[in-house]
Amino acid sequence: MKDKTFDSGEWRHWYADVGTLFDSGDFSGRTSQDAIEKIALVLKNLGLGDRRTTWRLRDWGISRQRYWGCPIPIIHCPACGDVPVPDEQLPVVLPEDVKIDIGSPIKKMPSFYETTCPKCGGKAERETDTMDTFVESSWYYARYACPDNAGAMLDERANYWLPVDQYIGGIEHAILHLLYARFFHKLMRDVGLVSSNEPFANLLTQGMVIADTYYRDAGGDQNSGKKQWINPADVEVVDGVSVLKADGKPVQVGGTEKMSKSKNNGVDPQALIDQYGADTARLFMMFAAPPEQSLEWSDAGVEGANRFLRRLWKAVYEHVEAGACAAYTSGELPAPTRDFRRQLHQTIAKVSDDIERRKQFNTAIAAIMELMNAMAKLDAADPATRAVKQEALEAVVLMLAPIVPHICRSLIKALKPGACLVGSPWPVADEAALTRDEIELMLQVNGKLRGKLRVAVDATQDAIEQAALASPEVLRFMEGKPARKVVVVPGRLVNVVV
Amino acid sequence: MDALYRPEIIEPEAQQHWDEKQIFRASEDTTKPKYYCLSMFPYPSGKLHMGHVRNYTIGDVLARYHRMKGYNVLQPMGWDAFGLPAENAAIANNVAPAGWTYANIDYMRGQLKRLGLAIDWSRELATCKPDYYRWEQWLFTRLFEKGLIYKKMATVNWDPVDHTVLANEQVIDGRGWRSGALVEKRDIPMYFFRITAYAEELLSELDNLPGWPERVKTMQRNWIGKSFGVEIHFPLNERHQDDQDVLKVFTTRADTLFGVTYVAVAAEHPLAQKAAEGNPELAAFIAECKQGSVAEADMATMEKKGMDTGLKAYHPFTNEAVPIFVANYVLMGYGEGAVMAVPAHDERDFAFAKKYGLPIKPGYRSVDGL
Repeated sequence: MKDKTFDSGEWRHWYADVGTLFDSGDFSGRTSQDAIEKIALVLKNLGLGDRRTTWRLRDWGISRQRYWGCPIPIIHCPACGDVPVPDEQLPVVLPEDVKIDIGSPIKKMPSFYETTCPKCGGKAERETDTMDTFVESSWYYARYACPDNAGAMLDERANYWLPVDQYIGGIEHAILHLLYARFFHKLMRDVGLVSSNEPFANLLTQGMVIADTYYRDAGGDQNSGKKQWINPADVEVVDGVSVLKADGKPVQVGGTEKMSKSKNNGVDPQALIDQYGADTARLFMMFAAPPEQSLEWSDAGVEGANRFLRRLWKAVYEHVEAGACAAYTSGELPAPTRDFRRQLHQTIAKVSDDIERRKQFNTAIAAIMELMNAMAKLDAADPATRAVKQEALEAVVLMLAPIVPHICRSLIKALKPGACLVGSPWPVADEAALTRDEIELMLQVNGKLRGKLRVAVDATQDAIEQAALASPEVLRFMEGKPARKVVVVPGRLVNVVV
Repeated sequence: MDALYRPEIIEPEAQQHWDEKQIFRASEDTTKPKYYCLSMFPYPSGKLHMGHVRNYTIGDVLARYHRMKGYNVLQPMGWDAFGLPAENAAIANNVAPAGWTYANIDYMRGQLKRLGLAIDWSRELATCKPDYYRWEQWLFTRLFEKGLIYKKMATVNWDPVDHTVLANEQVIDGRGWRSGALVEKRDIPMYFFRITAYAEELLSELDNLPGWPERVKTMQRNWIGKSFGVEIHFPLNERHQDDQDVLKVFTTRADTLFGVTYVAVAAEHPLAQKAAEGNPELAAFIAECKQGSVAEADMATMEKKGMDTGLKAYHPFTNEAVPIFVANYVLMGYGEGAVMAVPAHDERDFAFAKKYGLPIKPGYRSVDGL
């Protein structure tokens, strides 16, 4: 047991633990939890307290003394007090043609704030504060259902579309924005505008985009602590040293951090799109990391994404140039083609699950890349194999369509003239292709691996033994001796003992 | 088919086709399951950054996937267009915030279209447009009439450079998040949404959101912060039968009541104000406390300071007198603006007691320390 003697000279964390009371009057000997209940009861009887629930949450103050916000629709009347602006006088329009210096211009604009009281008709003034901008972002998701409605905040279309099935945004909004939006949904529900309880059924919080940082000590003074941050686009690596492209001299390498102005490590997406196209940018983003984790910017990653798209294009081009063919539907296939087709349908099943359920796009893309590699190795050109390749390329293009839609639009047209990408259904895994009709067993003689044996999945023990004894590898290593025993481990191996 | 992959030709072609044919225009269709896919809308800061591209690509992949799976998909886009940066840009460039904002929206819309997102652009909205915010104003008037919006004087974080009230989370180490100026406290009339009236539901409904990350739900639960505890009244007079005045505190650890060696009140607490009359030193300390942030994060890290008011409170059970301190770590807006202090069992109180020579009195042992 640890020494837990209380020492008032030094704080130790266990002092704040719960425990058993002593020196506590009638409550000595009780546990903390028990004592809390009893103390509350006695205090209540004495009229000196009671049990209570408290909340950390405070009411939400929304007045801002800024100009560029939604005017608070209140009129201050010396006689009637705060009077809400009547419906027929809404909106209270924020003047847009203003000059900004110190303070909000509408606070100095009598044409904005001078008005009359809607109740008594006397002279009154408008509120000149505006609302916290979190108010606007608390209900925009609902207005998208009916943005053209000039007569109401929301209409029945909101109940068709809401709740949002999938909401995606940064983790920095995990508390305030999402809490305020949930609050507004309930406010709108309670004035009869929506029927659901919550605005967002599913939430995905994507990770940050991070990049290397580079700097030089400002003014050449190492001790000033001031750094001149250099954008990664202006840095290249020469012989393992990071140098500034402009002068070829080394720069200091900082850590990998969230892209920001202060560290000058932001990479402009426009430059990326201009150089490689939107599809490369999209593929890189989706392949480099799972969506909830940080994505590290990498020039090599972007080039890799672009290279894959060029390979995909080439694969389709070569296939199409070799002559039109229809996608495989049925018929005998050579064994390697059959194996490849099984991988195709396993990939379809995996990619569907990765995107829809797991939301792991990077592993989905990796599986498609593996499939493309496997296809490149499939060198047979018989009509059945070509038909399977056609089937595979069509499926690959459709599976990549959500990620790289532009290239896929061109490729599906090349593969299936007249096809429309956005109208095409998602490919479905063929259950029959997924089931293996043959399996491969290890072949051993006296416990040593001598080869492999393909047998039907449902082959009997006898059939497997006979096939093993007839195989050239086994015959060679039996060296003419009779087999004493044949051991079959189903699904794995056959061992011939001589 | 072209032998070479040429995105500079096929991408604009595809985008023009989708745009002209309004392929991604959504309408209500009860014959299909619906899928509403929404990415958080951007602030029109000037141009897209890489975080936007990531966010909108993820959304677009899900939207396009579900469309292929036979869902009736809605993916809209708009602009979170009000806010401080437009005012700062307006001052810096001598333009009106509205013009700056609309120009940014036009540029960034072009960038988004260049990403090939499957967006129903017919639903585009900007929150700075009267046809949007008029409904926010309309709802405001309804809620004001229902008492769900009210006005009260409030102590706020005042940024003396930006001339604005800062939210607690905009105060970083006691300074304005943007200006870097030392934050002051001020009392001004403000309108409040009564979000606390929905606290219970905002908390309990988190249990009905299986599609949310656990981490986010935990952060929301902690922010809402429901705690069960005991309100304790410390009489301000030894013979409390004659004098009903009490000092109310709230604690989640009533079991430590016998370890109380002082109580602490916020600078704005009526008892502090009363004690400061005729005590210039205390009045000066109270004024000092009113500087600085009201943000809780800053409360946790700042130096804890206090001053004895000379007033006493009496233990509700033992009738023992304990000093009443004004302390900068007690917030008027939280609980009763007063706390009981148990130096033996609370780290902050322990440090405070050491600093001001107050007694430390253990009232229980931890379970395994018996």
